[in-house]
Amino acid sequence: MPESLVQFAGVTRRFGDLIAVNNASLDIRAGEVLAILGENGAGKSTLMKMLYGLYPASEGQILLDGAPAKISGPADAMRNGIGMVFQHFSLLPALSVRDNLLLSWPKTPFWKSHRNARTDDVLTSLAELAPQIDPERIVSSLSVGEQQLVELCKVLNINARLVILDEPTSVLTPAEATRLHGFIKQLAGRGVAVALITHKLADVEACADRIVVMRRGSVVDIAERGARSMAETVALMMGQSVDRTLRPPPAFGRTVPRLVLENVSAQRPDMSLQGISLSIAAGEIVGVAGVAGNGQALLAEAVAGVEPLTAGDILLDGVSIARHTPFEAVSTPLGYIPEQPRDNGVVATMSLARNLALRDLAQGKRATGRHANLLERFNVNPPDPAKLAGTLSGGNVQKLVIARELGIQRDAILACYPTMGLDLAAIEMVYAAMFAQAASGAAVLWISEDLDDLLAGSHRIAVMREGRLVALLDNDGTLSREAVGALMTGMTETEAAA
Amino acid sequence: MSPRILGAASPFILTIFVFLFLAVALFIGLGQPPFQTLAVLVQFAVGDSYSLSQTMAKTTPILLCALAAAVPGRLGLISVGAEGQLHAGAIAGTALVLLAPVWPAPVLIPLMLIFAAIGGAIYGYIPGLLRARLDVNETIVTLLMNYVTVLLVAALVFGPWRDPASQGWPATMQFPPNAVLPALPGSRIHLGLLLGLVAALALHIYFNHSRWADKVRILAGNRKVGETFGLSFGFWVMVLMSVGGALAGLAGISEVSAIQGRLQQSISLGYGLTGFLVSWLSRHQPLIILPVSLCVGGLVAGSDALQMFAKVPAASAVILQGLLFAAALAVPGLLARWRKAQ
Repeated sequence: MPESLVQFAGVTRRFGDLIAVNNASLDIRAGEVLAILGENGAGKSTLMKMLYGLYPASEGQILLDGAPAKISGPADAMRNGIGMVFQHFSLLPALSVRDNLLLSWPKTPFWKSHRNARTDDVLTSLAELAPQIDPERIVSSLSVGEQQLVELCKVLNINARLVILDEPTSVLTPAEATRLHGFIKQLAGRGVAVALITHKLADVEACADRIVVMRRGSVVDIAERGARSMAETVALMMGQSVDRTLRPPPAFGRTVPRLVLENVSAQRPDMSLQGISLSIAAGEIVGVAGVAGNGQALLAEAVAGVEPLTAGDILLDGVSIARHTPFEAVSTPLGYIPEQPRDNGVVATMSLARNLALRDLAQGKRATGRHANLLERFNVNPPDPAKLAGTLSGGNVQKLVIARELGIQRDAILACYPTMGLDLAAIEMVYAAMFAQAASGAAVLWISEDLDDLLAGSHRIAVMREGRLVALLDNDGTLSREAVGALMTGMTETEAAA
Repeated sequence: MSPRILGAASPFILTIFVFLFLAVALFIGLGQPPFQTLAVLVQFAVGDSYSLSQTMAKTTPILLCALAAAVPGRLGLISVGAEGQLHAGAIAGTALVLLAPVWPAPVLIPLMLIFAAIGGAIYGYIPGLLRARLDVNETIVTLLMNYVTVLLVAALVFGPWRDPASQGWPATMQFPPNAVLPALPGSRIHLGLLLGLVAALALHIYFNHSRWADKVRILAGNRKVGETFGLSFGFWVMVLMSVGGALAGLAGISEVSAIQGRLQQSISLGYGLTGFLVSWLSRHQPLIILPVSLCVGGLVAGSDALQMFAKVPAASAVILQGLLFAAALAVPGLLARWRKAQ
């Protein structure tokens, strides 16, 4: 059995009440590529960040070369030969590639003269990994893929024994990703251990030697490549469905289209929506599934009239509700529960009563008292209308927004992760309110990461990937988590079945 | 006094003490008897009717410029353009007087004020438009635009607008009596002060008690939420920047018409920046801006007189102002930190 370089022994990490990593045990061996697979929030990154010294473990131990590791920060980790490439790069965009590499090179002399021959050593790994990148180019002029390679060179320059890559292919083109896979294998061949954090099965298939599957903070499986079929791996990653007493919404006649998205397109620097078309009938609930960061946030803000469309239209009962230019202002008629309601849903400097009456206040009407009982109805704690919204806890801000948006009957509802951060009782209450709205004829567009809930509570499921709607499935009871999960991660259904 | 009121007032009281302490240190450094000099300063600020009138005259442009910074400040914008807007208003108002110097006062004075307000408003609208449409930082634009009108005034009074009868002195002709803002007899307290008072009260009511008050408050608190409910950030940027500019424009023409009597260089003793600081000290609250600008106006008037009659250098007036602002900015923060540590 190969010697293990790093060992996690029953490691747990808590953030307040949240258990991010729960009693995880695994080892990383020299010369292997270890893929750590899991959905968003499964605890993959947290686990590796503990090894890199960014967080201490709440419980358990991390062993390095068989002895307890004393790593209190990234500098320590680098001294011990552990390097990590993050999803968000830490390059200085205004400097050249050479200068960026010199900044993190242990052998960089105290003085630095331009084009000093002794500093050319810093470029060795660059010449090997990406000979096409001119070291004198300014980093901001590089493509994202090229920046990733430079970032990787930084890590190689510290003579790393273990390289941790956090979702390295999420920003790469397929060709770049293939090249990276090849390079990862080459690294392992040289005896370097590579830990590859990913949610893409393609990465795993291309270069992993062993596969660790994490779900909800726990390591649920460790297997050699080839020991499991891809379908089995997906099942492990998504988990078995949890039994929730989620009452399915009432039947409806899919006849009257209420909320219609016609070829909706929008653009942001990091994301674009490409021609999303969807028609939701009165009383229908359409769930949007997808791995976080695949355009759901942009879709929500486009439908809510916050983000201007570049093409297409959004109609509610035949009337356009979209924002077409940045200079027009649209008041959304939807019941809209945004993601991260503290940032996107309330005015922290105003009272609860005023936050409940924001629609009226924004139109220059006076706040009326009719909202007061909403605080009790939706269990906002404390139910004090004079309290400032900024003083509430996260879950209560969420309930406050839900009270405002679902407290009166709406024609259509746009709910983004409406149960995020709520306890079980509150989740039931939110779903009850949402389904009651649908029962009275509201069209519901429901964005969630919780596949179980989406499968239990929606009539159709739309799957988003990379800003597109890749599938629209009838949820007639025959849909499986695995099939939807495969679509989310980019496998075709036949691959999932294989 | 109840402990709560005392707690709320303690930063103010402490600020005054710290300022007095610093001022005493300054006078000692200057070799002046400190307490005697302080007493003279107060004497020159509020000691007699002439001093009071001087204080009011200085308060007027400071008050209007503070309101000019406070109005966009309510939306979270940082406008340092009052100085430029003041000069723009002075130019626009003066242009009308030079065009129609013989019109009767009841026509000329209101029109002159309107011209000045429009001039200042346009000068505030430009950075507002740039911010709203192109997301150009309004602080930088207003700062840079200040130089343009200040130098434009110089260009005009050295060039086309110079009064031939002034024997080379760079200034326009003396304003005719029908273009001079009415003032209280025998004093320099003029209509501009009344305009500032009315504006402060109107803004207080608008921002705190009107039906539309919450539009600005929502956008300032959370722009995205405001836009979700149909409020246009860009529209309000342009409106508030223009209104602020108009107020500074009024300050400009009232200095020209009531105090200087003609357009010339140095119509403003840095009133734009002083107003900006007053507005930020008062957290953009019009009702707090009123007493604060009165205090600062008194300090300006008092120290002006001080440098003329006592043996202190001219710069000490500016130094005293700087000490007041430094004390007012530092003390509440230090006090909060000290209370937290307790």
